[in-house]
Amino acid sequence: MAVSLLEEKLNSKEFVVTAEIGPPKGPDVSEMKKNIELLKGRVDAMNVTDHQSSVMRYPSIGGCLLIKEMGGEPVLQMTTRDRNRIALQAELLFAYSRGIRNVLCLTGDAVEIGDHKEAKPVFDVDSVQLIRMIKTMESGKDFAGNNLNGKVEFFIGASCSPEAHSIKPQLIKFEKKVASGAKFFQTQGIYDVSSLRRFMQFARQFDVKVLAGIIVLFSYRMALYMNENVPGVSVPDEILEELRNTDKTQALKKGVEIAARTIRAIKDENLCDGVHIMAIGREHIIPEVLEASGIQK
Amino acid sequence: MIVAERKPLDEIIGMVRPFKNILILGCGTCVTVCNVGGEREVSLLDAALRVAITKGMLEEKVISQYTVKRQCDKEFLTSLLGKAEEIDAILSLACGVGVQVLADTFSDIPCIPGVNTIFMGAQPEMGVWDERCIGCGDCRLFETLGICPLSRCAKGILNGPCGGSKNGKCEANKDVDCAWLLIYDRLERHGQLEKMRQYYPPRDYGRLRRPKRVTIL
Amino acid sequence: MNGARSQRLKTIDRTLMPPCQEACPLNQDIREYVDLIAQGRIMEALKVIRDKNPFPSICAYVCPHKCEEKCRRGKVDMPVAIRALKRFAVEFGGDQMVRTETENVYEERVAIIGSGPAGLSCAYYLRVLGYPVTIFEAHREPGGMLRVGIPEFRLPKRMLDMEIERLTLMGIEIRTNTPITSLDLLFEKGYKAIFVTVGAQEGRKLGIEGEDTPYVMDGISFLREINLGMKVRIGDRVVVVGGGGVAMDCALSSLRLGAKHVEIVCLEKEEEMPAGKDEVQICKDEGINIRNGFGVKKVLREGNKVKGLELIKCLSVFDENRRFNPKFDESALSYVDADMVIFAVGQMPRIPEDFHLEVGRGGTIKVDPVTLTTNRKGVFAGGDAVTGPASVVEALSTGKKAAKRIDDYLRHRYPFEERSEKEPLSSEMSQKTIEMIRKISRHEPPLKPRDERVKRFEAFELVYNWETAIDEAKRCLRCGMGAEIFERDKCASCLTCLRVCPYHVPYLNEKGDVEIPPSDCVACGICVSECPARAIFLRKPSDRRQIETELYELKNSIPQKGWPLIVGFCCQYGLFGTGSLSSFYRHPKTGIHIIPVLCIGKIEVEHMIRPFELNAQGVFIAGCGEKQCARDNTEIFARRKAEKAKEIISYLGFEKERIEVFSSTEKDMEKRLDQFIEKISEMMLSRMLKEGR
Repeated sequence: MAVSLLEEKLNSKEFVVTAEIGPPKGPDVSEMKKNIELLKGRVDAMNVTDHQSSVMRYPSIGGCLLIKEMGGEPVLQMTTRDRNRIALQAELLFAYSRGIRNVLCLTGDAVEIGDHKEAKPVFDVDSVQLIRMIKTMESGKDFAGNNLNGKVEFFIGASCSPEAHSIKPQLIKFEKKVASGAKFFQTQGIYDVSSLRRFMQFARQFDVKVLAGIIVLFSYRMALYMNENVPGVSVPDEILEELRNTDKTQALKKGVEIAARTIRAIKDENLCDGVHIMAIGREHIIPEVLEASGIQK
Repeated sequence: MIVAERKPLDEIIGMVRPFKNILILGCGTCVTVCNVGGEREVSLLDAALRVAITKGMLEEKVISQYTVKRQCDKEFLTSLLGKAEEIDAILSLACGVGVQVLADTFSDIPCIPGVNTIFMGAQPEMGVWDERCIGCGDCRLFETLGICPLSRCAKGILNGPCGGSKNGKCEANKDVDCAWLLIYDRLERHGQLEKMRQYYPPRDYGRLRRPKRVTIL
Repeated sequence: MNGARSQRLKTIDRTLMPPCQEACPLNQDIREYVDLIAQGRIMEALKVIRDKNPFPSICAYVCPHKCEEKCRRGKVDMPVAIRALKRFAVEFGGDQMVRTETENVYEERVAIIGSGPAGLSCAYYLRVLGYPVTIFEAHREPGGMLRVGIPEFRLPKRMLDMEIERLTLMGIEIRTNTPITSLDLLFEKGYKAIFVTVGAQEGRKLGIEGEDTPYVMDGISFLREINLGMKVRIGDRVVVVGGGGVAMDCALSSLRLGAKHVEIVCLEKEEEMPAGKDEVQICKDEGINIRNGFGVKKVLREGNKVKGLELIKCLSVFDENRRFNPKFDESALSYVDADMVIFAVGQMPRIPEDFHLEVGRGGTIKVDPVTLTTNRKGVFAGGDAVTGPASVVEALSTGKKAAKRIDDYLRHRYPFEERSEKEPLSSEMSQKTIEMIRKISRHEPPLKPRDERVKRFEAFELVYNWETAIDEAKRCLRCGMGAEIFERDKCASCLTCLRVCPYHVPYLNEKGDVEIPPSDCVACGICVSECPARAIFLRKPSDRRQIETELYELKNSIPQKGWPLIVGFCCQYGLFGTGSLSSFYRHPKTGIHIIPVLCIGKIEVEHMIRPFELNAQGVFIAGCGEKQCARDNTEIFARRKAEKAKEIISYLGFEKERIEVFSSTEKDMEKRLDQFIEKISEMMLSRMLKEGR
């Protein structure tokens, strides 16, 4: 019995598409609302990031509530960087009470890369422990063993990095997340389909759903930056060449083209259960990506 | 080893400014080993302060120096009691523990810390100190065969690695190896990857709460 | 590697010579034998005494115990009663049964002239070396001053007879009634060396008016007559002139002979009197009045009867150079009535002229102080004949030294001066430590009641009983064998020793290093077992067998079928060593293996756990109890360590109750032990049942 719409869709074997909504840096959510409106009919679910890159922003739970109000399917992203187990459990209770069922459990980026470098990193639990925490709450108890006045139910997800430089430890971590109770995964950005293919050969043995992450590139510089600095992302030289040879004004278009290409390749080969499209700061481009990949919802 | 680093000289100058007769007190144990608070450093700081006085950054002062074997046990300090009549401040180069014991022992004289105590660590090469232990009170080095995830992983996670390592380095500090990759290599070398596959529950922060005390007989 | 070196270090003796030993002319190992007495090992104590003293039974009675004057316990409360302890050892240690085996090794015969203590001692040591020895004694009975100069009540003659008989059994020839007039004759007779030790038995005369009146005698003759069993004249009012031991003896003898009123007149102030303080005290106790600070001008007589003495005030006895040079105030005259006067004002030797020996001040023979040789080749001299009147123990020491020198001479060896191997303790105990040591009052040697004493010539000093002797022996501070930081490089200045010492002895020097001053440490052993670096050792490894050796041997002990093996660490100073449970060690209850320790402060946590490795079922520790223990805090530390041991064994699957600390002064100690054994047996049984055996 599926806990959420997203779970249902993933179970149904259709090619699922999810997208990432970045919250604003401030109380003004008008831009985010526009993005939600734009995407809610076009994708199966929308993630709201949780202080992505450790930059302080409007919280994920807020974004998810907005999505819910506006009739979309939210995925709550929860990192363990900023809150201890008490606060995390509290938010889960709140999320459940407001009908939010999809949770993506993440450890979270390091404080050092964000804009509040003097903040104290919490990391009371890590992603694996967070998954188990949710499972514990699902059994009617909190993480300290006390009884809750009801049960919660979530569709638990986690992340993984098929294109990580040292893949072996990541595989072990993946297994641990699965063993702890994660049911779906949204990967870090994929540019080289063959690495996804190899990863899926390993991942297929587990009864979990995998959505390949697609990060839309906007410029050659961005591609370089991602290559240098973003963990788990590795833009192949061919793509870098492609972008380098493109005129700056056409770069975004190129990025969309590359993304669509990748999505098509994944879909055609049926490599995994869907894609998760990330267009950071340019959510409006996602419909174009969908169209270019030939996905209609 | 408790490792400390020298406080910036301008900060020290700011703290000693109001006092007329200062004793610079070194410590002969940890801070000597990490080269920030031993007899030599005391002498160096004395010289630096004298230069500051000459340059008008500080008013004229009487500065004396002394180094005791340790400042964290008051028995080493009692020989100073009685000799410190005219001193109106002690600039201590000991770690935070030493400064506090000093302040307790000389309760009428302000004790100024001259170093920042940063961690417990080891010296992989001369002059370089790496944090190795955070004093968690629940040592799990057997789980990782000798690499501490709490002191060497920026996030201190127990079920590592996170997704943040790039080219084997930590996303928080590109100069630092990802501890969990090191752990993976170590466990693999020993044929003990099972240890990494195990689920580790969150730390019990309740076991040793601040302010910590332990009685060892 | 670490362990083997530590083991070896634990067996090295690095003790410093305590002041008592330094003061003893025989250099007796006083600290050692007192400690053995405290452990109840009397026969071994006697062995230690006999090692350096040929006649402990005699010294036990008459030694002036210079050791007690230097005893550091005296700074805390009162000195340890060393001489009385020696007497206890002699009487309880089976001294009568000791026999010394000898054989003839050399041919050179040695003649000893005089059978006083110096002569007897010299004979003993020469005989042990293997020389044929002959003692020539002019008097009818051997012993010298021991026989004729010391009264029966101070030295029972049977002790002397026993010692002399022992010498005879060793093969020493004693020819009494044989005065020697010429040394050449002896050489002609074939003796290769001669030891002249004729003593100083001539009473000195003052040369004052009336000295030749009847009933005026010299003290030595007086005592001699008594000792030889002659009928001695005694008056009713006896005045003894002199401040030394002879004078005291004369006064006490007079009382016993029936004098009604005895007084002593001497030049010295009480503190200056050469007689021992206890001898003076005994005289006072018996009602003898002592007039200090008077000299005798003349003896007053009426016809042929003594009427009294005319006394002059003595202003000072010694001059600036500490030489005997009394100054009088002739104008201050006083009188004392007497019908008998005994002059005990000094003795001189009488050296026959035909000896052709060079004689010096006071008629004493001149000798080289190192070789003890006289002006004549092959002739040695010692004892009172050389030094003037001195103590018995000094004579014994001279006799021993003479024997060695004669041996050197006969064997053509270079006479090296004897050097002590041990460094003496260099400084005084600090006042701070003295104040921290718990005061325990001294057990004075018991005396017969005064009224009984004066009736007879019997010895009036009684011997300690077992408990009193051991209590007294425990007061010894064990100077010079305390803790030292032996392995300096291991010391991390953690300050544990500083903090656990009940007497606050270890201190931090200027360099920030810990020092344990040997002059203050009383060897309780707590810091040794608490030092985390195992850097501290006691200078003397005084456990009978190292605890580790005993534990090792435990491996070979097979537990009796059905009985649990229980290991007990028992303090040798307590009930198990010296008290009611000491039989435990010799006939342990079934299954109990006792490991003797000298004070439970020395037991380490590791020791409490190792027995479990060797299949022991239970461990108990029995100390002396807080009040009985001569040291402080030892039980506190033993209990603390036991707690740590209990925690460790609980992780190993053993119940914490398997380790227990007993205070062995508990009245029902034996019952408590039985309860403990029962409890362990029950645990053993229930475990066996669980395991289905």
